[in-house]
Amino acid sequence: MIAKVLVANRGEIACRILRACQEAEIETVAVCAPNDLESMFVEMADEVVVLRGDSIGETYLDHTQIIQAALDTGAHAIHPGFGFLSERADVARAVVDAGLVWVGPRAEAIEQMGDKMTARQTMRKAGVPVIPGEEVESIDEDQAMLELEEASTRVGYPLLLKASSGGGGKGMRAVTNPSEFHEAARAARREAVAAFGDGRIYIERLLSGSKHVEIQVLADSHGTTIHLGERECSVQRRHQKVFEEAPCATLTPELRDAMGDAAVAAAEAVAYEGAGTVEFLLAPSGEFFFLEMNTRIQVEHPVTELVTGVDIVREQLRIASGAPMSCGSLNLRGHAIEVRLYAEDAANNFLPAIGPLAVFQPPQGPGIRLDTGVREGDNVTPNYDPMLAKLIVWAPSRVEALQRMRRALDEFVILGTTTNIRFLRELCDVQAVIEGTTTTTTIDDTWPNGWQPSENQSIEEASLLMAAMGETLGLHRVHRTGGEVSGSTGPPSPFATLQRRYP
Amino acid sequence: MQHTFSSPDGPIEVTLGKDDGAFALAGHRAILIGDGRLRVTLGDGRIMFGHVAKVGDVWWVALGGHTYRWERMEAGASAGGNEGGLIAPMPGKVLQVLVKVGHTVEAGQALMVLEAMKMEHRIVAPSDGIVTMIHFADGDQVEQGASLLEIEAESE
Repeated sequence: MIAKVLVANRGEIACRILRACQEAEIETVAVCAPNDLESMFVEMADEVVVLRGDSIGETYLDHTQIIQAALDTGAHAIHPGFGFLSERADVARAVVDAGLVWVGPRAEAIEQMGDKMTARQTMRKAGVPVIPGEEVESIDEDQAMLELEEASTRVGYPLLLKASSGGGGKGMRAVTNPSEFHEAARAARREAVAAFGDGRIYIERLLSGSKHVEIQVLADSHGTTIHLGERECSVQRRHQKVFEEAPCATLTPELRDAMGDAAVAAAEAVAYEGAGTVEFLLAPSGEFFFLEMNTRIQVEHPVTELVTGVDIVREQLRIASGAPMSCGSLNLRGHAIEVRLYAEDAANNFLPAIGPLAVFQPPQGPGIRLDTGVREGDNVTPNYDPMLAKLIVWAPSRVEALQRMRRALDEFVILGTTTNIRFLRELCDVQAVIEGTTTTTTIDDTWPNGWQPSENQSIEEASLLMAAMGETLGLHRVHRTGGEVSGSTGPPSPFATLQRRYP
Repeated sequence: MQHTFSSPDGPIEVTLGKDDGAFALAGHRAILIGDGRLRVTLGDGRIMFGHVAKVGDVWWVALGGHTYRWERMEAGASAGGNEGGLIAPMPGKVLQVLVKVGHTVEAGQALMVLEAMKMEHRIVAPSDGIVTMIHFADGDQVEQGASLLEIEAESE
């Protein structure tokens, strides 16, 4: 029985987990870095422990401090969310050794899947197809570079360099030309060392024209392992997903069964427990290859929740407490799409942006879900990931879901920080997105020279009119301008006429 | 009611007109309906609702699914470009300086590698030229907007 959970994460996913706990009538503890004290997730928790330190390494990655916080507050379990500590086997082990429950798979399963090279080998043994490629185990820089160079000629071009400890596109490089190999490999190793403290990289054949299709799995401690269907996440920029949907528009029921079975086999091969995702590349030929297994809750889990009706985070808590999962047989209903809203300049190579959220007004209405960790008045800082929110829509059909997404993005107003909203909106009009034939290169194929917003002369002229009006009328003096409120436009305060006085 | 905003193509001077209680520009009209919200009637008769907010000197405007940022300039100020200078797009760390002073570089050539938010970003030459100044070395921290290095365009 888990009565109190410490959430070892921040932002949007911390809010998601804290809400699930609250609904399950589980008490919550948040941990936060000093610069996060005013963040939304902190307000959602019953208790908060402020971590000592400034950098991410000293705070959200300091598991010793976090485990101590759990013990001090009497929490029974730690939920790591995604990113940060979520795929650290040593941390999962330390949590269990401290007498606490780790909301996630056993350390051994994380280890077997977390090291991408080991995972490829395990999957080969379990009969799950992997992408043609080679692992290079050498740690020594020069030796590794030599072996990588040799392996590259056997794998062939174009190829993909990936960090063995990698994820989120870090330490990953696509190489199309042998002359670029050396620089790319060194850069990938550098990035991998900086991000994961492990510079080992491996090589995969780059399968262009492929779809990224992943299967959500759930496994409990009572011997049940099931899959919850697929998510298609082909649309990526910088190897990071921006547009995800369920189900995949082109997947046949037969292929869904085959991939589902392979995903369940992959999970069972490592005696998996909890929620996880098995990622595949689906080639145009209909062949599919194991990419990796994410041993945690995933950013895009909401689309699966909307089409299956399963609350995955709630199931995680249930499974972690030793209970059997509550899901019945797979029953897909309608279509769901998620887009990731980033503080970034899509017109300038998707460079991260910072600034105040002077206006943050999400869309509303039927079929809309917003998972975010920010609200109006917050500041986007360079300290953390620039993802602002996940906007998810559900509708009875794919066509209607896309229509709903267009409407929702048109309604979304964020001012004060550059975001990718317009990019996402125009993405919804791309032919491959409309047809459901997106691949991992759709963004690059559609905008080979980088995306630029479509021009609309009369709207642009009207926007100048509005800016000039703002200046003429002095609107900024009665407005939120990044926290500097110098006047009030709210309704009269009821306390002004209140007769009662509190000491 | 004249204001000047900067744009990539140079300063834009805006003189607001008045039309039946509304402000007007280029055939479009708008009225304030409160709390930063404006009702806009476009020249073709379409009616839209938009938002404005000011951060620093920049007016952010949302209208019809588009977002614009208009930086206000004092009347008479110049466009204030940074000729030849290359500006840090993000606060971050210099991972590697790939050129030296005096090097001839081609448009698009990588000059410096920055790390921001755990990702590497390349600073590339906007045009052909000669590197005349490098302000940072490997490992230096840079603020957003810092001038990283300078390039003088080659004369033909």
